[in-house]
Amino acid sequence: MADILRLLVTGTESLILAYFLLLNTFYFLFNLLSLAGILRYRRLVTFVRFGEIFRMPIVKPVSVIVPAFNEGKGIVQSIRSLLSLRYPVFEVVVVNDGSTDDTLARLSEAFDLRLSKAVFRRSVPTQPIRGIYRSAVQPKLIVVDKVNGKKADAMNAGLNVSRYPLFCAVDGDSVLEQDALLKTVRPFLEDPERTIGAGGIIRLSNGCEVRDGQVVRVGMPRNWIARFQILEYLRAFLGGRLGMAMMRSTLIVSGAFGIFRKDIAMACGGYREASITEDLDLVVRMQKHMHERKKPFRISFIPDPICWTEAPESLKVLARQRSRWHRGLIQTLVRFRGMIFNPRYGVAGLFAMPFYAVFEMAGPFIEVLGYALFLGHIAVGRVDYPFAVTFFFVAVFYGTFVSLLAILLEELSSHRYPRPRDILTLTAAGVAENLFYRQYLSLVRAWSILDYLKGKNEWGAMEKRGFAKAGQAP
Amino acid sequence: MLSIVVLYSFAYLLLMSASLFLFIFARRMVIQARERSDRLVYDAMERDLLEVLTGDDAGGPARAFARKHRARTPVLKRLLVAYREALAGRALEPLRVIFESSIRARCLRELRSPWLATRLQNVRLFVDFSRPEEAVHLVKLLHDKPVIRLAALNALTGIASQDTMSVIFDLFENDPEPNFYAYSNIFNSLGQRIEPFLRASLRKPLPPDKLALLIEMAGRLLLRGLYRDVVRFATHADKELRIRAARSLGRLLVPASSRTLCALTADPEWEVQAQAIRSLGNLQDWKTVPVLLKALFSPNWHVRYNAGYGLAAFGLVGVLQLQEISRQKEDRFAADMAAMVLDTLILTGGA
Repeated sequence: MADILRLLVTGTESLILAYFLLLNTFYFLFNLLSLAGILRYRRLVTFVRFGEIFRMPIVKPVSVIVPAFNEGKGIVQSIRSLLSLRYPVFEVVVVNDGSTDDTLARLSEAFDLRLSKAVFRRSVPTQPIRGIYRSAVQPKLIVVDKVNGKKADAMNAGLNVSRYPLFCAVDGDSVLEQDALLKTVRPFLEDPERTIGAGGIIRLSNGCEVRDGQVVRVGMPRNWIARFQILEYLRAFLGGRLGMAMMRSTLIVSGAFGIFRKDIAMACGGYREASITEDLDLVVRMQKHMHERKKPFRISFIPDPICWTEAPESLKVLARQRSRWHRGLIQTLVRFRGMIFNPRYGVAGLFAMPFYAVFEMAGPFIEVLGYALFLGHIAVGRVDYPFAVTFFFVAVFYGTFVSLLAILLEELSSHRYPRPRDILTLTAAGVAENLFYRQYLSLVRAWSILDYLKGKNEWGAMEKRGFAKAGQAP
Repeated sequence: MLSIVVLYSFAYLLLMSASLFLFIFARRMVIQARERSDRLVYDAMERDLLEVLTGDDAGGPARAFARKHRARTPVLKRLLVAYREALAGRALEPLRVIFESSIRARCLRELRSPWLATRLQNVRLFVDFSRPEEAVHLVKLLHDKPVIRLAALNALTGIASQDTMSVIFDLFENDPEPNFYAYSNIFNSLGQRIEPFLRASLRKPLPPDKLALLIEMAGRLLLRGLYRDVVRFATHADKELRIRAARSLGRLLVPASSRTLCALTADPEWEVQAQAIRSLGNLQDWKTVPVLLKALFSPNWHVRYNAGYGLAAFGLVGVLQLQEISRQKEDRFAADMAAMVLDTLILTGGA
């Protein structure tokens, strides 16, 4: 019996080691692909005048849809930033999703909102709309006030009211750089028939100075949790998503900033209200829709356009956010399990979905299982300490190496952190995050499966500090 | 065995991480130093260029400028592109002289580079600074990859002659995967000069998507001489072509087209009806007011929407009609649409 148990434990350990090796090999490959992608993008956009889009006669207009629930602290700044975007024809549709704070009042005061008698097509069902407001000072602004649903419901209300063939989903707590729309819409002009979605990079505004709806100074936050997240976002967007996009395996276009073709989104029924991560769910459904109709398509990832958003600075709020993301991933993969390893769905079915299932969804459980086995070995006094310590440092330095690659990708792409001291801080964060932060998040993500099985579907409140205060230490 | 592998991995990763960190840091320092130096060179060049641009004689000083600064090609390219954005017309001539005297030869060489990005960068410079005699180099690139082909087409529009326009239309007609947005941009840049080529292409049996763009361009460029060529598509079997014909007729504003558009308002496809109603609104023919009023009671939202705004375009008479419909109780949908259009008119006036 003891022999069988020992064999089982040894087998599990070998599996965990092989998993660790395979996962890191994939991440390393994604980073290499991203490096090639960024270098190519830099050369391809040399001497491109993004402003020439202004002279294009039939450039596609864009509806920027901003769902807002209790975003009172930062909503005016965000909407100012969106209204100051450089783009020929666009409208900003803010959907006040039954906020219980002063979101609507602040918007009304800042933009002189007047109740409008606008009528619209209810193409996708939503919670009742209480009123549609137009601004007397900003003709591009429309504010929809509706009964609280979820973010997906607010997005659907925005889709119903919006007028243009492309829509850009932007979070109410986000700030877009002025050229972000011009740059992201380019794939829709270069390949209008096939491009169904495009996403850009999300960066954290913690530590940055935001004035008149624009980030005027980029800096590092003093809070270490925010610093760890800056590095995580660099790894995820520059290392992961760009690498996946190079392999035509984009599965996520962030809900904080992404542009989609409205006709395809509507044909898929808009956002799904029951979904925990509505952005992932929509992108997967759009891909499924195109594959099933055998229509060629592409979803682009542009390493340049930047959307700034605020990250949580407390472990409690961060845990809620990550738990929701992980539950959303599990929900989407379970819902679309028929696509996994199904050649009918191309690279998405054969590579992207299995990768997300095996490494992104199961990763935290395997990691937590490894920690549990290690603790078990300590308990029975069977730890090879020199090996364990060396292995721990291998893991730490591998993590640091991947983080450094992400910093290099940032340097090569948008180069937003101007001071050499910022590189030092990010490198230090790359080492320090391995000591507690990573393990904590793995535990949170592994725990989220229990919440998923219990049917927990709520978002959890994210405490907003507003852009004016985002740079200050708590 | 496993311990040795792990130990080696540790040493290797430590070394790699340290090297990568040093590389990032050293690269940052080198780039910052180069940026400072480039900035100084750029400022010096800019001062010299302003003297050239404000002088009486463009040729001589421009050539002297090119001789002086040709060694710093990347900075010179940046300066030329930046000033190309700011200048127009004859003021561009000194920039062209500088381009020809300093970087033209190198750009021509690099147009043959095996690297796509290098070819693309150089074609883009030709978009700004090409001359008619350089069309021959650009035409060669029309068989390159799509992104290069489009940049070359863009460059050709800058030096459009009868020959280059003929080349552009030939390419469009035979392009197996045309990028319609790029072509529409190019046709738009060429302007009303394309009328004879457009007429010839409209009379050819091209695929519907290509014909759709050509019909669209006829309306967009206000080529009233193509009215007869456009109007025959109003009865075409392809729905998209009927929509485009209705849209173009709404732009060409030929009075005779109101009869065709009225007929299209009874089309079985609602998209065609909606477009025809919109175009009738543009046409502002008093005789069509009853058609628009009837359309405001259509079961289709888009038709009602276009009819509402079409009536509003008639000014006071249209507004009075809308007010009347907004008060009636028989059709709530028509009343709501009329109220919305009136409301938008009032708000826009206020803004």
